[in-house]
Amino acid sequence: MQNTEVKDREQNQVSELITVNMGPQHPSTHGVLRLVVDLDGETIADVRPDVGFLHRGVEKLAENRTYHQFIPLTDRLDYLSPLSNNLGYCLAVEKFFDVKIPERAEYLRVILAELSRIVSHLVWIATHALDIGAMTVFIYAFREREYVLDLFEIATGQRMTSSWMRVGGIRDDVPEEFFKRLGKFVSILDERVDTYERLLTKNRIWLKRTKGIGYLSKEDALSYGVSGPIMRGSGIDFDLRRDEPYGIYDRFDFEVPVYEDGDVYARYLIRLKEIREAKKIIKQAMEGIPEGPTMTDDPRVAYPSHEEVYEKMEALIRRFYIVSKGFKPPKGHTYGCVEAPKGELGYYIISDGDAKPYRLKIRAPSFVNLGALPEMSRGYMLADLVAVIGSVDIVLGEIDR
Amino acid sequence: MGCDMNFEDIKKKVGAEFPEDVTFSEKHGCRFLDTKPYVFKKVLSFLKDECDFEYLVDVVAAHWPKRKEKFDVIYNVFSITNKIRVFVRLKIEADSLETVTDLWKSALFLEREQYDLVGVRFEGHPDLRRILMPEYFEGNPLKKDYPLKGRKWFNETDEQQLGISFSK
Amino acid sequence: MGVMEHKFSDNILTTSVDGLVNWARRSSLWPVTFGLACCAIEMMATGAARYDLDRLGVIFRATPRQSDVMIVAGTVTRKMAPVLRKVYNQMPEPKWVIAMGSCATSGGIFDTYATVQGVDEIVPVDFYIPGCPPRPESLLDAIVALQQQIKTEKILRK
Repeated sequence: MQNTEVKDREQNQVSELITVNMGPQHPSTHGVLRLVVDLDGETIADVRPDVGFLHRGVEKLAENRTYHQFIPLTDRLDYLSPLSNNLGYCLAVEKFFDVKIPERAEYLRVILAELSRIVSHLVWIATHALDIGAMTVFIYAFREREYVLDLFEIATGQRMTSSWMRVGGIRDDVPEEFFKRLGKFVSILDERVDTYERLLTKNRIWLKRTKGIGYLSKEDALSYGVSGPIMRGSGIDFDLRRDEPYGIYDRFDFEVPVYEDGDVYARYLIRLKEIREAKKIIKQAMEGIPEGPTMTDDPRVAYPSHEEVYEKMEALIRRFYIVSKGFKPPKGHTYGCVEAPKGELGYYIISDGDAKPYRLKIRAPSFVNLGALPEMSRGYMLADLVAVIGSVDIVLGEIDR
Repeated sequence: MGCDMNFEDIKKKVGAEFPEDVTFSEKHGCRFLDTKPYVFKKVLSFLKDECDFEYLVDVVAAHWPKRKEKFDVIYNVFSITNKIRVFVRLKIEADSLETVTDLWKSALFLEREQYDLVGVRFEGHPDLRRILMPEYFEGNPLKKDYPLKGRKWFNETDEQQLGISFSK
Repeated sequence: MGVMEHKFSDNILTTSVDGLVNWARRSSLWPVTFGLACCAIEMMATGAARYDLDRLGVIFRATPRQSDVMIVAGTVTRKMAPVLRKVYNQMPEPKWVIAMGSCATSGGIFDTYATVQGVDEIVPVDFYIPGCPPRPESLLDAIVALQQQIKTEKILRK
């Protein structure tokens, strides 16, 4: 059912609209999102999102913290894939100094970022399927997620919110155990994703509830500025990792799935394919990773290692200076962006030469994707709204910052 | 696909159309187009129609209280056909500016957010109201004179008559 | 229990009835889903397969009218505070509140113009769980401690 049919019917009759509130506390809104829905019977006439229930003032906090002290705050934005946020911020700050990152750190950054992508898509499929009614997928996906959280715990010490990336590399090297377990995880991931496909992809109920729902045309997708799987689901072939590569993504060979349908089902297929492609990238990175340091030795940003600090006076002074006062980038503006699982996550930093940023703006993909929600849901029924919200894959921590 | 333009071609095209109003620079890995405020909308629609910048990524506003031009507004536009990103920067003295919602619909939410947090009014926006802070809030949090821990407004209204009051 | 509460002295009848009622209440604690931010994901992970919450009798209910406990997981902002108080008012007695995570306990790392510094400014809290986010074992520990507290409550007895 396309959007245009129902619109014609609406223009021929004038009826009274009922306004319904899908409040901030709701089992299916994926967080504290409030939607004010105008209904014409059971059909949706308009949806007005009301956000800001999780606005914590992160951008104002950035103006009062040094560049290093802001890294844990970036974790809490898109809390489902924390290492991607860290990576985006570190890339933006590194552009000020034009740092050369060592090879081992680049490979580890890629591995951790792709693991975050897998974790985020697993939580997406769990909650999306749970909203539509398939509870089993929730339990299965969270079981896979526990494997990856174990990997994060071995590498970084924390399950979520690890703040492991630093300006100039990563915080520390990973133990040997990490690669053994990673190899095992990568070998079982494909059959697990096959299980989800067997449960959902050709299921009659799933097809009825997701095919043809939430249509977004190509022109609207460009105009509304959506990014990530929604953009690729409407036929635009673009991925930041391939087209504006950051780090060492140009060395890896992976596919970018694109579908023309523009509905919820297309976005579901894209995200499942992305899990498989992320696994391919991790496998290639594991084969090519060299030995070496994990932090650059550029004296402007990196602090010296523990051995040097214990032995040399100059290293102690430099470490103390960088940790307590912070490094000072040159004056100017810069922008760094990554392909987060939700879309294009970017950080625009204005620096006035001080150790704290003057203005830091976070371009959150879910915030801009939410602007397209009214367009995607007009003309469908109220129960379809739940499927559309699930397919947009919003994270309120990112929208409200 | 299409014409593969790089920054040099864009410089020539835009420089030919707006000879004195636009300057170009490339710093810290980003390409900037500094423009005067009275032509910025013409520059943006020229970029959208002639140079294939069909995608508005972000709108950023910053407050400089000690400068004559109090606000800095930056538009981040991207071209998918040519894979090139350009930042259009302008400095304004008053706090109002024309909207670009008729060019790109992503500006609907992005401009509302900058109006709410920094205080720049966008004339012509169809629905300019607060988006992140509640409606009864007064002030703009990201202006430099607003304190970081300014919580006095918590107790100013009890909007649902629940009798809650805050001590910190 | 209404008119019969806190009226009788300790004897075998009242202690048995109290024991029965307390056992029923603590073995089926149903929380209302109040996940706000990152701690909500750890709460969902606690309810999933590895750290199962269902074995403690905990089933997440979407409506406050049928729930006993409210687990506030995540940062509470000033815009969200009236909603939290309303949901708390809608829960029937007896009710308990667990504040999960640093943001619900005391505002966490967000000491800014929009966050409430601790959910105990709005609702009375029984248990605080520190951590950012706390591990699922911490949440299980808090629920078990709440169950121990309920075991010692006096209902019919003075």
